[in-house]
Amino acid sequence: MAVERFVLMNPGPSQPRPANQHLRRNPPIAGEQEAIQRAQNGDSRAFETLYSMHKRRVYSLCLRMLGNVAEAEDLTQEAFLQLYRKIGTFRGDSAFSTWLHRLAVNVVLMHLRRKGLPQVSLEETLEPAQDDGPRKDIGARDLTLSGSIDRVTLERAIENLPPGYRLVFVLHDVEGYEHNEIAEMLDCSIGNSKSQLHKARMKLRDLLRTGQRKEQIA
Amino acid sequence: MSVLRAMDKIMTCAEFQEKLPELFESQADLGAQEHLKGCENCAALVRDLEYIASQARLLLPIHDPSPAVWDHIQKAIREGDAPDAKSAAPGRE
Repeated sequence: MAVERFVLMNPGPSQPRPANQHLRRNPPIAGEQEAIQRAQNGDSRAFETLYSMHKRRVYSLCLRMLGNVAEAEDLTQEAFLQLYRKIGTFRGDSAFSTWLHRLAVNVVLMHLRRKGLPQVSLEETLEPAQDDGPRKDIGARDLTLSGSIDRVTLERAIENLPPGYRLVFVLHDVEGYEHNEIAEMLDCSIGNSKSQLHKARMKLRDLLRTGQRKEQIA
Repeated sequence: MSVLRAMDKIMTCAEFQEKLPELFESQADLGAQEHLKGCENCAALVRDLEYIASQARLLLPIHDPSPAVWDHIQKAIREGDAPDAKSAAPGRE
């Protein structure tokens, strides 16, 4: 069963990535290594230090994936409690932030599946209803977006993506995961991940252009 | 002109857009696509999709959880009810 496969998922060995990708996702944090070692030895202040270092990244990930503040806070809490229990198993073979990030992604995905909402079951997550999907843009000459989106507008548009699109878009375009990693996380094919990403970008374009038109009318 | 080029030139918008996900993923030089040279609509679409992807990469984690989150974490740890992490944590390295 797909859900069980996901629950038992082990990320396995890291895939090679371009150097800039690694740095973008795992910028060095001063004092992190020492805090990890101390936390592994049961130092609660060190665990608090790790929380301070990573809370923003974990919470932002949860919020972007869920689009809901209360749920994002609950899952941030759950992710750090899982970290507390599992930090002893971290041996430094990969970047700590990568390891923690994957843990947080797993927490969010399991939460979505536990909720049992139709739109986040495996099939629906990866195949949103046709009506919800992007359309071909044929013959619709119109304004372009380039240079016109600010961060807040883009964040809002991402929130309004259907959950399946949002997951793949956030994981790939915002968080920098590769399609093979996303396919493993979501238990889908790489082709499916690529297809969903394209549909998500098309849908975002629709959302952003619609927003621009409304602003112009107002 | 190669056969591929010839096919590219007569590609319709629908055919080009069908190919777009593959073109993006191949990191091909989209500007070199013959179809885009004569189709402003598809060129605008490509520019927008590239722009959206580039802007998404610039989104930083800017949201902070409320202080209550840490309070709850501390309380759960004190009470010894941190969840069993075996199901969600990344595997042992």
